Amino acid sequence: MSTILNKSGELHIDLSTLRSFSEMKHELEQRLESSKQFAPGTQVRVHVGDRHLSSKQVREIEDILLDYGLHLRDLMGNGPPDEEADPEKEGPFYSMPHYDRTILICRHLRSGQKLFSEGNIVVLGDVNPGADVIAGGNILVMGSLRGMAHAGAFGDESAVISAYRLSPTQLRIANHITRPPDGEVIVVESPELARIRAGKVVIEKLKI
Amino acid sequence: MKSRVIVITSGKGGVGKTTTTANLGTALAMTDSKVVMIDTDIGLRNLDVVLGLENRIVFDIVDVVNGNCKLKQALIKDKRFDGLHLLPAAQTKDKTAITPHQMKNLTNELRKDFDFILVDCPAGIEQGFRNAIAGADDAIVVCTPEVSSVRDADRIIGLLEASGLKNARLIINRLRGKMVKRGDMMDIDDIIDILSIDLLGVVPEDESIVVSTNRGEPAVLETASRAGGAYRRIARRLVGEKVPMYSLDDDNNNLMDKFRKMLKLAR
Repeated sequence: MSTILNKSGELHIDLSTLRSFSEMKHELEQRLESSKQFAPGTQVRVHVGDRHLSSKQVREIEDILLDYGLHLRDLMGNGPPDEEADPEKEGPFYSMPHYDRTILICRHLRSGQKLFSEGNIVVLGDVNPGADVIAGGNILVMGSLRGMAHAGAFGDESAVISAYRLSPTQLRIANHITRPPDGEVIVVESPELARIRAGKVVIEKLKI
Repeated sequence: MKSRVIVITSGKGGVGKTTTTANLGTALAMTDSKVVMIDTDIGLRNLDVVLGLENRIVFDIVDVVNGNCKLKQALIKDKRFDGLHLLPAAQTKDKTAITPHQMKNLTNELRKDFDFILVDCPAGIEQGFRNAIAGADDAIVVCTPEVSSVRDADRIIGLLEASGLKNARLIINRLRGKMVKRGDMMDIDDIIDILSIDLLGVVPEDESIVVSTNRGEPAVLETASRAGGAYRRIARRLVGEKVPMYSLDDDNNNLMDKFRKMLKLAR
């Protein structure tokens, strides 16, 4: 039968023994109903066994979890991978986590404007000081990032932030918050990428 | 010519919205356009003072929208130019005394008689701002070369875009060429880089503005005033002429001119 385990703040729900998708949904709802004590924002990994779920079914599971304030971190199964395996395991984006949803914004984000997405965000424009970009996944700014950017907002430490010109007021990745050093003005005339390495946010030249 | 409603705004206070409105209005009237300036800073009216028309106010914008008087009765004709009019703000009410809807009706009414309707916006992003932009076709954003002013201008441009005013143009006010050259002041390019909107003009810092404002005589009336000259050039751009943009080298020319003048005087 399915089980709910709590490992290091993450929730694992095993639905792999169930036959049909409707059974899975029913069981998931019952499980969550019977134990409502989880903190909002808790990451959940759902084990689905041999089953191959369509993206619509994944969305349904996500919605059920969201009703209880939980976020779907991962679907784990033994079935065939639903996306093509990446043939080239090279380049800076290889290790980036996969998010289904990416939103594309084709304008400047100005002071006081806020952009949020559960997936990735791509901005074709500048992000000015006073503007916030918050993504569950990665952030890519094809202009100057001068405002605040928060990637991996649900705790994904492998999320990255890259920009054509990276000069933010603040960078946040998962629960790490950084800002540029006081007093120093570092001008880098090339695209850069920020990510977490060894528990620290580091900024490196973007090599593609 | 189709009449245009232009709102002059900045977000931040004290950057020169009212001075810009008064000078552009006067400069446009000098080009034989029919101009009306509306002061929407209800409760803190200034435009009438800057224009030297304070003592002629009988009715104001709140009286007009509430139907206490006819629009024609509230319009004050300028003492210098026949084509220039002012619709003053009320001093005893606050910004909630009119609504964006009323403002839109008011500007549409004024379109019949005027080529340019300049709306002087109050500082801030609250109801006063929403009233001021309600009937506007175009927006002019005034900012000074300071980080805080540029930040607020950016916010305002975002709000204007959200309200459908996507063609805002920028006036950089109180630029000091010498300080920019020393690297102590933000450059025109730095500001344009952040705000990424079209530049309408640059007005240099000029003491004559203080004098003319206090006297109630817009600086554009003085041929010697550098800021006045800049406003005259902006007004010509607004009526569709192509006028070269100010550059820091103009300062040098001016210095050279002064130097030459001094030499002539010495001789």
